[in-house]
Amino acid sequence: MSHDQQLRADRLVFYEKEIEELNSELDAFLELSKAKTAMLIDREGHLVTRRGESIKSSLDSVSALIAGSFAATREMARLMGEDEFAVLHHQGVSNSIQIQAVGPRTLMGVIFDGRTNLGLVRFYAQECNRRVKEILDQVEVQSSGRGSGLAENFSESAEAALDKLF
Amino acid sequence: MVQINFAQKQINAKIVYYGPGMSGKTTNLEVVHQRAPAPNRGDLTSISTDGDRTLFFDYMPLDLGTVAGMRTCFQMYTVPGQVYYNSTRKLVLQGCDGVIFVADSQESMREQNIESLKNLEENLAEYGKNIADMPLIIQYNKRDMPGAVSVETLEADLNQYGAPSFEAVANTGQGVFPTLKALAAVVLKNLSQESSAGGSSPSPAAPAAPAPMATSDGVPEQSAQFAAPAAAQPGGENHPPAAVPSKAADSSEADNASAPLMETGFTPRENGVPQPVSAASAQGSISGAPAGTAMQGQLDSGGAASTAVAPAPARQARPRPQTAGKSAGARPAKGRQKAAPKAPVKKQGNTVYTIAFIVLAAAVGAVLAKTILSFL
Repeated sequence: MSHDQQLRADRLVFYEKEIEELNSELDAFLELSKAKTAMLIDREGHLVTRRGESIKSSLDSVSALIAGSFAATREMARLMGEDEFAVLHHQGVSNSIQIQAVGPRTLMGVIFDGRTNLGLVRFYAQECNRRVKEILDQVEVQSSGRGSGLAENFSESAEAALDKLF
Repeated sequence: MVQINFAQKQINAKIVYYGPGMSGKTTNLEVVHQRAPAPNRGDLTSISTDGDRTLFFDYMPLDLGTVAGMRTCFQMYTVPGQVYYNSTRKLVLQGCDGVIFVADSQESMREQNIESLKNLEENLAEYGKNIADMPLIIQYNKRDMPGAVSVETLEADLNQYGAPSFEAVANTGQGVFPTLKALAAVVLKNLSQESSAGGSSPSPAAPAAPAPMATSDGVPEQSAQFAAPAAAQPGGENHPPAAVPSKAADSSEADNASAPLMETGFTPRENGVPQPVSAASAQGSISGAPAGTAMQGQLDSGGAASTAVAPAPARQARPRPQTAGKSAGARPAKGRQKAAPKAPVKKQGNTVYTIAFIVLAAAVGAVLAKTILSFL
């Protein structure tokens, strides 16, 4: 595989239409489950989209930590002969979080409080997970077959931005 | 793995500081955090031991600003350097787009430098990546230490790949930013080159409408479809032709209000309702608002970012209160893809919604009954 092919295979490109489909699924899930916030994060820790209530702390940091947390438990799972633990649950006094694998490259994080319960969240998350996975599968297929769609002047603009920042 | 998100107009890339323990990786990140302009830097998050050794990773997002209409962010990580943390080190390396190898210039660390570089090679290989293909910058840190090994020796030890290298004294900040800038340049250049090579054929329709990223012509085909929804789309199997030009987005909203429901059959959450631009931006993330609103917000705040970004799918996400009850949970996926023909989708969709709702209600009832019985 050439370098370019490798990059195309690695990269995920999300267009607005796809994000809207994902948002729509997350909205439906939030409505049914009464959870506070739902977010999709790729396994490298980059946020794909978030719906529901905003988070007080940095969304980027939360995303990175969710991905890190999931990755760590996956190693634990491997030591126990499992591929991964598909669902994680961290329970707090007022807020809890459920992390669920959605396909091979994405995670769904759900933050909820006393307005709902873990069973309800998990129940609706299963269905939402399946639908989101279908959309992400399409994104992955399309990502590998299309250019990144960046402007031709991206390289020059990037150099200018770097000069400005550093 | 670079993530390009056109809905948020954002590019995310992952950069990892790698190297032996105590070589100065976390210090590099701390210096970037201290000296980067406040609007560009995010919080520095550390998962470390009591002794301040990195246990899992340190993390900091760095916003480069808007590059060609796309907000470009680097997610910067350090790995734990100690040999026995290899499993967590490997996890951090997953999906990285560029590596800064921080070597310790002290004589006593030569062997550990070499060992760590070898470990980097091995860990990348486990992810199917070749270090020779990975954007790599080497930083020779701690140049101020007495008896520091000469750069020539370090080059001979470590730089068999001919990677750009920099001398640094991280705790004074010297050499930190040149190193990061060099890697950022390579990562973005790679992305850009791959973009021009990877985009299939330039779309003849591209110049027909203003593009979101200020492109004029020669835009890769898919980009043109996104940028110019109203233009002809010869290869647009994945992107249905937009019915409404972007500049008519406002009027299209009125149309959508009376259009049949094609999507969600549930009552939207309060924060899912289109909000004023100021409200969307106040949330700190455009993802909190519906895409149409978010794009409008960017248009207002980002200037040149884009006149053409509000494509037709905005109507898909537009919530319609009190319509098909709570049947969203069983909404058929295909109905969503066939959004263009309006009336038939509604009819077919309603039937399916009704059946699905009954099934779902029965299932929920059964679960509730079982739960109640278990309590009894």
